[in-house]
Amino acid sequence: MREWFRRIYREYFRSDPIQIGLVGILVVLGLILGLSILYLVGKRLFELGLSYWGRDFIRLVLGMGGVLSVVFGNALLLVWVERKVAGHMQFRIGPKEVGPYGLLQSVADAIKLMGKELITPRYVDRPLYLLAPVLIFLPALVTMVVIPFDQHLQVRDISVAVVLILAFGSLTPLSVFMAGWGSVNKYSLLGGMRSISQEIAYEIPMVLSVIPVVMLAGSLSLREIVEAQRIPYILLQPVAFLVYFISAVAETNRTPFDLPEAESELVAGYHVEYSGMRFALFFLAEYTNLFIVCALATTFFLGGYRGPWFPGWVWFFAKTYLLIFVMMWFRWTFPRVRFDQLLNFSWKFLIPLAMINLLVTAGVVKL
Amino acid sequence: MEVRGPLIRFGLLEELLNLARANSLWPMTFGLACCAIEMMATTAARFDLARFGAEVFRPSPRQCDFMIVSGTITRKIAPVVRTLYEQMASPKWVVAFGNCAISGGPFVFENQYNIIEGVDKIIPVDVYVPGCPPRPEALIEALLKLQEKLTGVRRFPVPERRW
Amino acid sequence: MVAERVVKDLQALGVDLEEVPYERRGYCFDGRVQREGILGVAEAFDQHGYFIEDVLCVDFVNELELVYHFNHWEDPRRFSIRVRVKPSDPEVPSISSVYPGAGWHEREIHEFFGVRFKGHPNLAFLFLHPEIEAYPLRKGHVPIPEEDRKVLEGRQPEGEEESFWINMGPQHPSTHGVLRLLLKMRGEFIEEIEPILGYMHRMQEKMAEVRTYIQYYPNTARLDYVGPLAFSMCFVGALERCCGVEVPERAQMIRLITLELNRIASHLLWLGTYLLDLGAATPYFFAFDDREAILDILEGLTGSRLTYCYYRIGGVYEDLNDGFLQKVEEFIGRMRKRLKDYDELVTGNAIFIGRTRGVGVLPKEMARRFGVTGPNLRASGVGYDVRISEPYAGYRIFGPEIAVRGGCDCYDRYLVRLDEIRRSLDLLEKAIRRVPEGPSRAERIPKKPPEGDVYFATESPRGEVGIYIVSDGSDRPYRLKWRSPSFSNFVSFTELGRGMLIADAVATLGSLDLVVPEMDR
Repeated sequence: MREWFRRIYREYFRSDPIQIGLVGILVVLGLILGLSILYLVGKRLFELGLSYWGRDFIRLVLGMGGVLSVVFGNALLLVWVERKVAGHMQFRIGPKEVGPYGLLQSVADAIKLMGKELITPRYVDRPLYLLAPVLIFLPALVTMVVIPFDQHLQVRDISVAVVLILAFGSLTPLSVFMAGWGSVNKYSLLGGMRSISQEIAYEIPMVLSVIPVVMLAGSLSLREIVEAQRIPYILLQPVAFLVYFISAVAETNRTPFDLPEAESELVAGYHVEYSGMRFALFFLAEYTNLFIVCALATTFFLGGYRGPWFPGWVWFFAKTYLLIFVMMWFRWTFPRVRFDQLLNFSWKFLIPLAMINLLVTAGVVKL
Repeated sequence: MEVRGPLIRFGLLEELLNLARANSLWPMTFGLACCAIEMMATTAARFDLARFGAEVFRPSPRQCDFMIVSGTITRKIAPVVRTLYEQMASPKWVVAFGNCAISGGPFVFENQYNIIEGVDKIIPVDVYVPGCPPRPEALIEALLKLQEKLTGVRRFPVPERRW
Repeated sequence: MVAERVVKDLQALGVDLEEVPYERRGYCFDGRVQREGILGVAEAFDQHGYFIEDVLCVDFVNELELVYHFNHWEDPRRFSIRVRVKPSDPEVPSISSVYPGAGWHEREIHEFFGVRFKGHPNLAFLFLHPEIEAYPLRKGHVPIPEEDRKVLEGRQPEGEEESFWINMGPQHPSTHGVLRLLLKMRGEFIEEIEPILGYMHRMQEKMAEVRTYIQYYPNTARLDYVGPLAFSMCFVGALERCCGVEVPERAQMIRLITLELNRIASHLLWLGTYLLDLGAATPYFFAFDDREAILDILEGLTGSRLTYCYYRIGGVYEDLNDGFLQKVEEFIGRMRKRLKDYDELVTGNAIFIGRTRGVGVLPKEMARRFGVTGPNLRASGVGYDVRISEPYAGYRIFGPEIAVRGGCDCYDRYLVRLDEIRRSLDLLEKAIRRVPEGPSRAERIPKKPPEGDVYFATESPRGEVGIYIVSDGSDRPYRLKWRSPSFSNFVSFTELGRGMLIADAVATLGSLDLVVPEMDR
């Protein structure tokens, strides 16, 4: 057994692309297969005739399993994608040695972070410090419950889904501030405070840009919003899409709005005192949030899972990843916006723009 | 100065962890002097250090794996180096990059009053890279040597001489 | 001209002035004054618009000599004013009320020589660590008394509750090199800046007294590792000047070409790191890619990528190799195309303009009082460049065109540096066609320089680099002092930074293009 293992990793290091490529393809196929199995099993159980609560419970468990696998698989994938995209935009290739095309880089990172020492400084405020990396996932997971990946791939279709999403979305700055306040450190505190003002300022344009979509679709449920998009709403509401997208970039703390984690001004911002797996959780949360805001943008504006020929979830992931690519493009092109310029931009430009759009849409819909 | 390992050791798990750690060593930005420019050049587009997994240059010591000490250690910065080393989360390694970090470099003369001759007088060093400044390829070689130290297998082995 | 008027004023104040040959000494007027009169002299210079170049001290064992260098932007004839004090009573009035830029030079002299300056606001140690026992640059062992060892460790808020002290550095991704700033903050605004240097103090000046000229020469490249050839040129030029060595024309043109290539490389590095500070990660990679092209050319010629030991007294080490001029020409074409990329990516970017326009305004008068030189000065509307006012090497044949902008803010400093890259490319294009045949090194160079002092100035990418060598006829320097451009530029930051946001302070600090080892020497 040991010999077999040694042989396998000696071959890893030599990077035999064909062998490892097959492994990589198998992993990707496995993910796809996993989701399809969940779908089929869900439908089959439905027809099996269990009691309603039994069926529902199994369906819920399978759904959450699917959601978690999407969340973590997505985070792993996005880490690799970000590095490769960044590398190619910067005249170089990103990770290349660890597995074919560097595909196993995120796996190596994850295992390394799991094996790192967890340092808890003596002076921190323990409950806040320890809970922050865990709680930062809460809004993300709740939002994932209501996102429609396909016509029948949705854990729960809640009729007030939009309200739920926006309400839970405002919990993210809370956990960021917990991290900043809990690690008793001037820099983290500054980072946490900046993060809160930024996220509060940019939530309002986000809400204001989603309301016209809701008005056009006539419902707060995400499935109905997607079903109502015969013409994708990006064509009917371009202004709302722009406002939503810019607010989304600000909500996920990405450049050009990444002041809370600004590396050159405050040394790493609010997560400076975290090490090992806790830091990995912040990282994962950032990529999960990225996926979620792009998934919501797809649902609201690009038509969700609608599209010809291919199954729905292929279209959904394709559109979401296209938007994620655009966000990464922003990150590696623009410098950082100064804090007061950031807030001015939101309060004095985005909010009035979104309100005007809302009024115009309301007028048109009424007529 | 020795760092003790854990009390209970699992052979296979340790090997897997070392393999993962070797492939994703995150350096800390601790560029002090001229060698810092060569370190920056190594992360730039031509001698891309990110190919080997060492992409994320975290400025906070708690989140990085190894410290590249590049530049002269003066008496004023020595306590800072020591503090940063102690703040790093183990497992951690140190690469002394450049002649100044190895033994004081070209700044040693009789009755000198301000530099520490070599960073290994204050923190334990794993890999020494000589040069003033060393070429970026030397830093890549140092990273490969560090990976060899962790896993026992040398990536891109140098072929043996046969003459 | 201005110099004649000042000469009259100084003679009226009782300064003992005489004119000295510039080709041998590097300055035009040499004056001696009693220590009580130095403040009046400084005021006289200030009225006529002179700027403070350097303040230094030499320890002749039975007396200490303080030398003040003054220069003018339009009439660049240097004045060197000397004050002698006895070591038993080393007290001199400070001129920092007239020229704030001299304040830090005086601090440095205080901690290295033990001279006390009356009326100086803050004489705490700038460079040295608190366990130092004797004044380092004094010839004998002169112990430091306890009350002089005031070192700034940290600061607590005094009185007012709303401000707090924050520490930026020394390990900091933003400051280029190890620089520690104590910032007194009120919310997001900076009230006061207290820098602490000395984290890279590598005893360059003390080492020069222990080593011979040839042994010391490689260290000149380690002072400013981004633009080392200007410092090497300074050292070699000073020795050539005092020994009267005639450098062949081929060597002069080679020196010009390498200096200009180095200037472009330094500006590219600045560009990459400045934008990295502001948050844009991509131009850093583009800039380093272009820089690697230059480094390839220079490596083929000199053998090193970063710290060159290429110049020798009387010429250069080795003649040009085949294909060098052609590679330079290819590079010029490539760089011109790439400058368009930079313009598209950075210059027109609204976020970049928003971060840098109107930020860190350095007015002309302030630049004069602090002794700011280089692209920072040229962005404030003053066309002062040592390559034109005191030509050396191949600049006697070609004068470069200077890039001047009037805006005084960070955006203009960025534009000036981009313009300088363009001008350097123009100059290179002219120069590579005009490299004459001949020897690349002078035939005979004297073994030891004659007794006396000499000053030499060159234009590094950061500003005016000066070297002042006092020789006692042996093969080691008696005293060697570097006039470092980053040091003089940085003093103005303490004044500039008041009332700024941290983000603006970071942007301004980056735009001043500081290299810390040349500040700390």
